[in-house]
Parts: sequence; structure tokens; C-alpha cells
Amino acid sequence: MEFLNFVLLFIIAYLLLRKPQKERLAFRLLVVSVLLMVAMFLVATRTAILPGVNY
Amino acid sequence: MKRDFLFTCLALAVLVLSVVPIGTAVFLLGFVYGDSPCVMCWEQRIGMAIIALLGLFILRYGPKPKYIGLSVFVGCWGVFMGLRHTGMHAARDVGQGFSIEIMSAHTYTWALFIYWICIVTMGVLLMLMRERDASAGLQPLRAVEKLAMVVFMVVIAGNIVQAFASTGPPPYAGQSDPIRFSFDPKHWVWSLDEWSSLPISLRGRWSIEKPAVAALPGDPSAGPLANLPALAIKEQKRIAVPLRGTPTDLAYDAGTDRFLLTTQSGVYLLDGTLSRVLRYTIVDPGFSIDLGQFAGAAFLDRNTVMALGENKGFTILRENDGADADKNFRYFLESFDKFDEMSRSRLGTVRSRMMYVMSLASDPATNSIYAVTVPNSKVKKLVVSRFDQGDKTLSEEFVPKLAPDSGLKFAGKNRSLDELYVTGAVIADGRMYAISAGYSTLLAIDLVSHSVVAAHAIPGLVHPTGIAVKGGDFYIVGAGGEVFVISKP
Repeated sequence: MEFLNFVLLFIIAYLLLRKPQKERLAFRLLVVSVLLMVAMFLVATRTAILPGVNY
Repeated sequence: MKRDFLFTCLALAVLVLSVVPIGTAVFLLGFVYGDSPCVMCWEQRIGMAIIALLGLFILRYGPKPKYIGLSVFVGCWGVFMGLRHTGMHAARDVGQGFSIEIMSAHTYTWALFIYWICIVTMGVLLMLMRERDASAGLQPLRAVEKLAMVVFMVVIAGNIVQAFASTGPPPYAGQSDPIRFSFDPKHWVWSLDEWSSLPISLRGRWSIEKPAVAALPGDPSAGPLANLPALAIKEQKRIAVPLRGTPTDLAYDAGTDRFLLTTQSGVYLLDGTLSRVLRYTIVDPGFSIDLGQFAGAAFLDRNTVMALGENKGFTILRENDGADADKNFRYFLESFDKFDEMSRSRLGTVRSRMMYVMSLASDPATNSIYAVTVPNSKVKKLVVSRFDQGDKTLSEEFVPKLAPDSGLKFAGKNRSLDELYVTGAVIADGRMYAISAGYSTLLAIDLVSHSVVAAHAIPGLVHPTGIAVKGGDFYIVGAGGEVFVISKP
């Protein structure tokens, strides 16, 4: 999934550099990337989402 | 400030973020030294790349609110990721952590710092921005901005290679314990472990409930030890003195014929008949170290007492008829001139770390103090902790076993001492006598062999919270203010 996310980031950067008129697509893909990053971190920490220390 | 200079600063910030943490991580640490990120580190790295990319969006299209907003969001999420990750290792022994350490901090702690710097940088750049800089719309790229874009893409390309090798294409995902990076495919591990079915929890093993005795089963015949001989209650009385709170522990000093009794925040010295308060104070639980509720009480000497909270925080008080009431205002809520507070601190443990305690016992013979754990929904283990009375530091912890020659047997294959709920302990005759509110069972634990050498059922106890020895008798106090007197076997 991390590979997929980096491919996404590469595509977005390419759009900014070579196809800047596709701003809306680029930003939407970026939102997908953010959501994927958040989701994968939550998957990885789902058994204890908050820091494991005293509060 | 000219618009060009501000946007040059942004381009340089994107360059620094791309090269220093992300580029160094993939090209130097990854390709050269073989360091592979764990799944959390991967997401932290991706988050930094997203912030750098949002910088490129701003360079290209102007500082639109949604770009700035998403940058702040990802920055804050990144701080959370760094905190969550660092929290797994921060409280371990000095120098311990996960994977590589760079300049005295591990990579996940650097991530926390870098995200914090990103948010600070965003704030500074926003403060430097003028209204004329906020014009949106497609911007032609200057040389430094093109350089930032190209460098970013090169760094991302490196990450694509490392991520393909280390984690694989979807649905494979990053791993908790990744192996060393290699360009050789025979050393690639693609895993689906992160998708395994596991319970979802906010605090995981740290969601531990506070102790409570009210709902504990009191019938000793249902307890984990079979066919226990019973001790009869020879006298039952009530504590007739006014108390702020309910009794939480009891101790006795033969030299002065006095009892020490604690309530949730109260420390009381009573006479030998438990009918008169000789002196007392109510400790301010909100001052300084969190003491929780008192659950253990012990005499350290005839004039010095220790009250232990269920979270192992403690206060040590010394009697003083000339105590300065003004000085003591900070320590106490009532009766400011009867005690001085000598210290307030915490006992630290290892085996008992994730369990509360509800007992405290003093052993002058070994200059030690003892506490015993109570089980909770996450950790069920009866652990006895011994601390040096001098420096209040852990000396040993043990899990008592049944002594082979005790004749004690478990009531079933899966029964265990870990079911017991020790709410009071006292040292006498070289043994610890521990009373369990669960199943009204009294254990005698040999402190040298670490074994339970005897056990008795005490039918009729009601929510016992403390035990003391006076002469040849046990005095067991209940949460409701009863005192049960039992002859020592």
C-alpha cells in the first residue's frame, strides 16, 4: 500500500510539473493519498490507537 | 517582503524537507545502510512527502486556503503519529528504542520533531504573507521552484523502488518488524500481516480499570484453592469514630498500641481499641504527585507512617505536635498541625507495572516494604513487590507458588492464585499474611521461599480492605467500617 501511495505522489507531482491545468484532479488524488496514509496508520495501530503511556 | 522572496523561502523549505528527512532516509539509510522503515515509519515518511507536495501546490497555484488547511491537517496528524510511535518506547530503560538512533533520537522521534517544525514553518510563512501574495491562479515556475519539483520527484522515485522491495504492491503493506533492505528480490518480504483480524481499541493494554471490591465474589468455597480450613470471626465491631471517607487499610504498632487507618485521602491514628482518634489529617490529593486513592497503610517507625495510593504513589507523614499549620496548608485539607509530610513520591515496579495495588506492609527485619497487585481485565497476575525502605526503590518482585509441602491444591485445572484480590497485607513471623477480598481467603506467604505455605477461608468477611496483627489476632477492616477479629492460626 505504501508503494501505491508513493506512485500516487509521483503522478501528482508530474501533473503539477507537466499538466498544471489538471489542478482539480491533482488535488483530489492528493486527498486520496492523505486518506490512504491516515487509514494505513490506523490499521497499523488499531489495537491501541492512542499513545501507550500514562495520561 | 517581496512575493518572490517569500515563495523562494517556500521552495527552499520544500527542498529541505524532500532532501533531508525523506531523501536521506531512502538513499542513504535505505539503499546504503539497508534500513527499512516499519509500517508506521512508512506512513510518517509519506506524510512528510505530502506536506512537501502541498508546498509545490502553493508554488504552482498560489496559497489557496485548502492547500494550507490540508498542510496543517497533515502536519498535526504527523505530530500525532510521532507521539504515538515514540510512546511505544519512550518509557523504557535509557537508550532503548526501535531501529536506528541518529544523534541521540530514534527516527520516529525525529518524525515528531520534523512535523512540529513543518507546522511552525507554515505559521511563520503565513505571518510573512501579504494580501498581494495571496493571489491564486496558475503561476509560471522559476528555476528554484522547478528544482524543488524535480528533486521531489527524484526522491519519490527512490521511495517507489524501496517501497516496492520492502512492502510490495497492494494488497501487501508495510510490516511491524521489517528486514534489512536489499536490491536482491530473494530478500524481499511481502506481507499481509497488517490486515490480520485484531480487536480495535483506543488505549489497548493501557485501558485498565481502577480497582473495586464491591462486585467481588465473597464465598471462599468458590475460590481457587480447594478445601481450605476456615477461621472463625471471634469478634466483630464497628469503627465508631467519624471518618472522612471509608476505610481502605489498617496497620498496628505494638510499641505505642495504636492503629493506623487510611481512608481515600485520610490518615488516622487510633487508639488500641479503635474507639478514639488520636490524630489525623486529610491529605490534599490534588497537590503535586497524583496519589490516587489510598489503599495501603504501614508504620515505618512508631512516629512515621506511610500511605500508599492504588497507583503506587505514596506520602510519608511524621507526627509533630508543633507542626507549622501555614507551611502544611499545601499538603493537607484538614488538621494541618498534627503531621509533617516528609516525602511524596511513587514506587516504580516491573512485573506489577500494569496493575494497581491495594495493600502495603512493612517488614522492619529486612528494612523493606511490600505491596501486592490486584488483577484487572487486561493483566491477571498476583505479584508481590518488595521495596527498600531506605530509598523506596524496587528490590525484588515475585509470583508466589503453592509450597509443595503445604497440602494446598487448586480447585480445578484452570484455577490460579491470580484470581485472588489482595486488599490488605501484614508481615508477621517472617511471613506475609495477605487477605483477598475475592473469595475471603487469607494467604500466608513465605518471603524467603516465595511460596504460599498456608491458606484459610474466612467466611463472613464483608469487603475486607485491610489487615493488621495485634498480639495473637488478625484485625481485618471492611469497607463499610466493620472490624473483624480473628485468632491467628
